[in-house]
Amino acid sequence: MKPINNRITGLALLALLLCTALLSAKLGAVPISLQEIKNAFMHLINGNEIIELNERIFLQIRLPRVLMGIFVGAALAVGGVLTQALFRNPIVEPGLIGTSSGAAFGAALYFVLGATFGSNWGEWTLPIAACIGGTVATVMVLFLAQSKNDHRRGVASLLLSGIAINALFLSGVGFLSYIARDPQARSITFWNLGTLSGSYWEALYIVLSVTSICIWFSLRLAKQLNALMLGEQEAQLLGINIPQLKLMVLCLNVIMVAVSTAFVGVIGFVGLIVPHFLRMIQGADNRFLLWGGALLGAWVLTASDLLARLLLAPAELPIGIVTSLIGVPVFIILLKRTNYLF
Amino acid sequence: MISLENLTYHIKGKHLLESVSLAFEKGKMHIILGPNGAGKSTLIRLISGELKPSAGTIRYNDMPLHGISVKEQALFRAVLSQNLEVSFPLRVHEVVLMGRYPHFVGSPRAIDHEICEKSIHLFDLDELKNRNYLTLSGGEKQRVQFARVFAQIWEPIDGKPRVLLLDEPLTFLDLYYQYHLMKTIKTFMASNPDLTVIGVVHDIIIAAKFADQVVLMHQSKTFAQGPTHAVLNPENIHTVFKIMVEDQFIVK
Amino acid sequence: MKNSTLLLLISLVASSCGRFGNTDEKTDSQERIVCISKQYAEIIYALGAQKEVVAVDLSSTYPPEIKALPTIGYHRALSTETILAMKPSLILHDNNIGPEHVVTQLKELQIPMKTFGNYTPTIAGTDSLIREMGHYFGKEKQADSLCVKLHKEAQEAFAHSKHYTQTPKVLIIHFGRASNIYLVMTKNSTAAKLIEWAGGEMAVDAEKGMKQLSPEVVAAANPDIILLTDFGYDRLNDGKEIDKLPGISSTKAYKNNQIYRIEEHDLVYTGPRTGENVLRIQELIHPDETH
Repeated sequence: MKPINNRITGLALLALLLCTALLSAKLGAVPISLQEIKNAFMHLINGNEIIELNERIFLQIRLPRVLMGIFVGAALAVGGVLTQALFRNPIVEPGLIGTSSGAAFGAALYFVLGATFGSNWGEWTLPIAACIGGTVATVMVLFLAQSKNDHRRGVASLLLSGIAINALFLSGVGFLSYIARDPQARSITFWNLGTLSGSYWEALYIVLSVTSICIWFSLRLAKQLNALMLGEQEAQLLGINIPQLKLMVLCLNVIMVAVSTAFVGVIGFVGLIVPHFLRMIQGADNRFLLWGGALLGAWVLTASDLLARLLLAPAELPIGIVTSLIGVPVFIILLKRTNYLF
Repeated sequence: MISLENLTYHIKGKHLLESVSLAFEKGKMHIILGPNGAGKSTLIRLISGELKPSAGTIRYNDMPLHGISVKEQALFRAVLSQNLEVSFPLRVHEVVLMGRYPHFVGSPRAIDHEICEKSIHLFDLDELKNRNYLTLSGGEKQRVQFARVFAQIWEPIDGKPRVLLLDEPLTFLDLYYQYHLMKTIKTFMASNPDLTVIGVVHDIIIAAKFADQVVLMHQSKTFAQGPTHAVLNPENIHTVFKIMVEDQFIVK
Repeated sequence: MKNSTLLLLISLVASSCGRFGNTDEKTDSQERIVCISKQYAEIIYALGAQKEVVAVDLSSTYPPEIKALPTIGYHRALSTETILAMKPSLILHDNNIGPEHVVTQLKELQIPMKTFGNYTPTIAGTDSLIREMGHYFGKEKQADSLCVKLHKEAQEAFAHSKHYTQTPKVLIIHFGRASNIYLVMTKNSTAAKLIEWAGGEMAVDAEKGMKQLSPEVVAAANPDIILLTDFGYDRLNDGKEIDKLPGISSTKAYKNNQIYRIEEHDLVYTGPRTGENVLRIQELIHPDETH
């Protein structure tokens, strides 16, 4: 089969993303018309006071939420591409190696005990706490999974260690919500299910800047990650500094995923199915997977959020439920395939 | 020229290589022969820098190997290992392009694509260029890997001797391709006189036919070394391989 | 842990769908009030000020006709857009709403929000709240007559309590609407006040108003009487399966068959019917001594 040009696939994904994002901006418990969106932007540009409620809803709730979906989706998908490439295994994702649950625990710890630590970096405190949690959990998983030379056992023990550490940190979150005073507990439980509904501009700025920088760095690693597909030894023979590459990939992954988790909670399966799906249609060249994954991930999360808002409107589902409902069947289908064909 | 001085390697009390001193001249094809466990692969992996010697030094043109960065080594030294598997579906031309990775930053240049095309053509892979690597047969995969390592050392690098290390490269190939590939390598060497090839093969006949120099390994040591016809005599073969050869090998 | 939370949430959302589907028939000319407090909601209806209310939270269940209104979900798991979809011109809440980010978003959108005075759960405090709300809605007269009734019935109940010779230990098991776990109410809850007024004593003490049910808590408390709030009672096959709750069958209450259903909205907050409710509780917990 003649391969589809990566650029064409990319453009198609971009067009799909833009259409869905626009739809997502319009639809919801409160429908917003195109005219209102236009007016909102006009008011914003002219610096006028915005009077219409729907325009304010659009600018203060809907728009940051849609954009948050785009950047978090991109971060999760790129995190998935990075971890899968690093471990040379298609069923690894940031959630499996402890990053997400560790980040959730870090953020929850700050929610409950933040005042006791006395440290405060403003808006950045929460994502920093999540990064620390994500790093601790990931390092624990990697440490537990260490085995001598045997690649196969390596992956199995990686997954098992991941299960153990995830259970540990999620119980930690459970414990924190148990001991928490009331208002904090409400935040923990709600945010632990994963939702974009709490998006606000300051949070978006943080996620946007962190995700963009990390994706930019990831793209520079594409070549080295490709070489890694031949194995660590071979990659080294192609002139790649393996310890340095591993460290960079893990850092990028932890930072991106933890910062997203800090603001929207644990959202599973995006990091798993997006790279999987893209690899099936376009092959495993990371030079495409990284930016293509960012686009597809952004689309998946935007569409999932739209569904989360529409399925039971005017009530709202946590987005983690939607991604799991879509992700699990896709994952099972993918799991049944023994070989990649395209 | 590559020279080895008292190269020793042991791991967990097992001596895999003991005090080997050798010199590999540039422009020649050196073939390392020996029974299983004689230390052939260990030697190749030491020369490639994949293993760190317990004692002794390796020099590339008087430069100690450990003084050259991994990144720089990849510019002039390519290695074809045994049993290579790729963990994800890649197209053949993408695998071959990996050979050019040490040479460009960011996106491949026109010259990189050009070299890949040539290398793909050299190993008769034009038809398979867009195939999924994972769907190829063992022999086809091996040819793709050949194309990749040749792309890596396609062009001379200023002041550096190009080196190609082959660790049992013919394993999955049928007879036709075994000979065809060895011929291809020889032809390539003829037009690239700075290239040194060091390879491990199992087949004495192939060694006898294509090698310029042979190293005979026995019990973790070099047993004999030198021009092919001098080393491959019945006495040596009998001592090392425990087989009698009735006729002297015909060495061209 | 996470999965079960998800499941519970799905079932909660699904079960509340019925009320989400309710349509509102208010015209745009009036105030549009979203009321996120069961206590306020009951008082508003009692005052007869309900015509401006367009939606309430899931736990506002009294009076029965309130169930015809659309709901905006559980008061601690709100969603901004769900509330905004009701086009509210005013949100009434009693500071017991969440998650925090929803409150922040509503404030940023400058949706008017109002909380009435924070009064103690006493008869006097309830009187003040009813009067403040009556004043706010311009229904002072109705407020006055509600208070008169409240005081009269409360005094009647207090008079009964003085004559009781026994103080039964009462255990109240509550089935939370958000997370389907059983909780017992403690001496620090509003329900404890009502039980105290009714001449009873709460069986469990704790810092918080609710405590998660542990079989040991129940067995150790050994209550004379067990009250189950409606949601949980109905779930247990109209109370018939109460013995399936561990620890229950060894209690005096179970042996003497003194396990009763009580409406959550009669127990967890004070309001115009509090006196009346205490009288009803007296009938349950002092069966021999009420006339």
